[in-house]
Amino acid sequence: MGLFDKLAGWLGLKKEVNVLCLGLDNSGKTTIINRLKPSNAQAQDIVPTIGFSIEKFKTSSLSFTVFDMSGQGRYRNLWEHYYKEGQAIIFVIDSADKLRMVVAKEELDTLLNHPDIKHRRIPILFFANKMDVRDALSSVKVSQLLCLENIKDKPWHICATDALKGDGLQEGVDWLQDQIKTMRT
Amino acid sequence: MSSGEWSGDGGKWLDAHYDPVAGLYTFSSCVDLADLSGDGESRLVVGDLGSGCSGMKLKVYRGTALMSESTLLDLPAGLVAFFMDLHEPRIPAVAVASGPCIYVYKNLRPYFKFTLPGLEVNTLEQDVWQQVREGQIDPLTLKEMLESIRKKADVPLSVRSLRFLSLDADDMDDFVQLHKLQPIRRQTVITCIGTLKKSTADEDGVSCLVIGTESSDVFILDPEAFIILSKMSLPAAPTAMDVTGQFDVEFRITVACRNGNIYILRRESDKPKYCIELSSHPVGLVRLGKNVVVGCTDESLQGFTQKGKKLWRTVLAAPITTMAAMDLPTRGFQAVLVGLANCEVQLFRDKNLLSTIKTPDVVTSICFGRYGREDGTLIMTTKGGGLMVKILKRTAAFDDRDSAPGPPPAQSIRLNVPKKTKLYVDQTLRERENGLVMHRAFQMDLSRLRLAAAKAYVKALESSLTPMSSSLTEPLKMNAVVQGLGPSFKLTLNVQNTAACRPVMNLAISFLYDESLYRMRSPYLRIPLLVPGLIYPVETFVECTSDKGISDIIKVFVLHEGRSSPLLTAHINMPVSEGLMLS
Ligand SMILES: Nc1nc2c(ncn2[C@@H]2O[C@H](COP(=O)(O)OP(=O)(O)OP(=O)(O)O)[C@@H](O)[C@H]2O)c(=O)[nH]1
Ligand SMILES: [Mg+2]
Repeated sequence: MGLFDKLAGWLGLKKEVNVLCLGLDNSGKTTIINRLKPSNAQAQDIVPTIGFSIEKFKTSSLSFTVFDMSGQGRYRNLWEHYYKEGQAIIFVIDSADKLRMVVAKEELDTLLNHPDIKHRRIPILFFANKMDVRDALSSVKVSQLLCLENIKDKPWHICATDALKGDGLQEGVDWLQDQIKTMRT
Repeated sequence: MSSGEWSGDGGKWLDAHYDPVAGLYTFSSCVDLADLSGDGESRLVVGDLGSGCSGMKLKVYRGTALMSESTLLDLPAGLVAFFMDLHEPRIPAVAVASGPCIYVYKNLRPYFKFTLPGLEVNTLEQDVWQQVREGQIDPLTLKEMLESIRKKADVPLSVRSLRFLSLDADDMDDFVQLHKLQPIRRQTVITCIGTLKKSTADEDGVSCLVIGTESSDVFILDPEAFIILSKMSLPAAPTAMDVTGQFDVEFRITVACRNGNIYILRRESDKPKYCIELSSHPVGLVRLGKNVVVGCTDESLQGFTQKGKKLWRTVLAAPITTMAAMDLPTRGFQAVLVGLANCEVQLFRDKNLLSTIKTPDVVTSICFGRYGREDGTLIMTTKGGGLMVKILKRTAAFDDRDSAPGPPPAQSIRLNVPKKTKLYVDQTLRERENGLVMHRAFQMDLSRLRLAAAKAYVKALESSLTPMSSSLTEPLKMNAVVQGLGPSFKLTLNVQNTAACRPVMNLAISFLYDESLYRMRSPYLRIPLLVPGLIYPVETFVECTSDKGISDIIKVFVLHEGRSSPLLTAHINMPVSEGLMLS
């Protein structure tokens, strides 16, 4: 950690990072982001997102601005308009929805081949969510089905999560924070 | 299990699931998609025919997994999911038609059984069995009597009598003992089933069941009380049907029948309103908006309007195994999916083939709709019992007329026809009123024109004013140049053979002139062989013998040796001689 970062940390000035939260509808994006917010700011009821919503949360050294995009088919064409601003991506997968794993893969491939993403070393954090559901796929199986091993030019990481309890989320956010810091220095 | 090896469809579909050994044996009429738990996730409900005599089951799939199965007592003829009441949460019931009954399941538990009313029984048949019961006749006599009733009667025999007639003599006694005490019943069976919204067009509105029977009737059942709301009769037994509209407002039932006709029933009448006579038997029926698409045994697909007017017909590559509608309201897309015996599923919009999906096995049932959380899901089962799920890509677009021959797209573009002007209207009025006069005037002018043309032609012939040869074997061109002031003139004739590659031989030139005015040094000239394309100048001298300052024309003829008519003629207008005569 650079001296400035430490200083900024002491002063409560944190670096701002824009993160895109993507994934199919019902995968748990909003639930995850809600979990990452301070407990007094958490919403009780989570409804399907319309269009997108902007959320903020802080970690020890960074201040995240999250674009929580709607995953519904008719809103997915909005995603690409925010690719330029995004400095990191959180991609959420419903590990229990085996049928739509192909759809998640298709959207991921489209994302990775987009001109605004393709040639950038942008970190991608995958949350294999809903691991608490019986018959959910393991994170290893999810990364196999999405062919994550083919992503060679971007740092990526996958965690199995349970957004209802919050399990696995911290591990992912810590990874993301480290990536963003190494990116900057 | 997912596989990408079967996608021969131009990358429009994602292969979500394929289980070749799912053990699902069914037809499109026994497959439906419905949100059976009210959680926004659609399930796949299948009436599985098993081996055809055993193993009939009602199966429910969620995603890639079989969620529940329960035994069916009889072969399913059709299956529909429908809302039978207004209770919350809005969960649809499932109706399975088999034999003369409809089994209604709610929350996947048996809820109600409806049986069709019995048919009229032949009184003679009844009497005969009565006599059997009283021991007055033996089985052999019974057989004879039943045979004769069967031949004559207008009311057909009951299933029991027909079964009896098919027995061997040894088994007759036992059969009679077993059945003689029960009353005779004649039951029809259900051949097809559909749903009809009761009074609202809402997605989750309460629906009536519509059933077609072997007795050539169509019944509409009340969803709550299960009483017959309406009965309609057809000329033949229905095999497939499509229902649209609302029972309380206006509806239309399109039925394909076993006599090879399609009938259209409307609310106001219990008899068909329109009839479509097909040249071969229908095997599938799908409605797209206001049109009906019918697949026939002659490997054809035909489109009709809802009034039965034929719109188009297209020939397929193989016999049809099954058909289903592909309706994507969010994208405003409607087409028909046709399963073929050559392991293909083809997608048609009207007569145009949009895309072809190759399948590893012959497809026997197709269902398209919302499955799980995905609106554009295509579910197919195969002859070998496989289950295949494909999802339409979000970005997939279907080009109209990508390969099918047909009228060019420009034909359907509307022309910007200008409005009718006052002048135009006046002219048309005038034409209408004075048509006869105008026609006569036109005919008169036409005759005059013809006469003028004929006169000009005759004149041209008479004066032989043609500078070009019309002969095909000797195509020649000539022009003449006169040089000099006189009385001596030099006459140059430029002759050209205009044939592509054939030379012309044995030609000569002669002149016709007034000998009292002109004298020519050589009035007859031989022309050398003419190579095609080159211009040959032929020169001669003319002397004017008169000093009166007059001139005349000299005619030039190009002749072929041995032929009397000239190939070419030219008239040369000689200039007036300006010089003095030397001698
Ligand atoms: N069992 C289980 N359910 C979860 C989990 N995470 C989210 N859910 C549930 O999944 C449903 C959808 O969650 P959302 O957070 O709205 O999903 P989303 O990805 O934001 O969906 P869209 O906004 O439509 O794109 C909710 O009912 C959540 O309670 C999880 O880890 N386990
Ligand atoms: Mg959301």
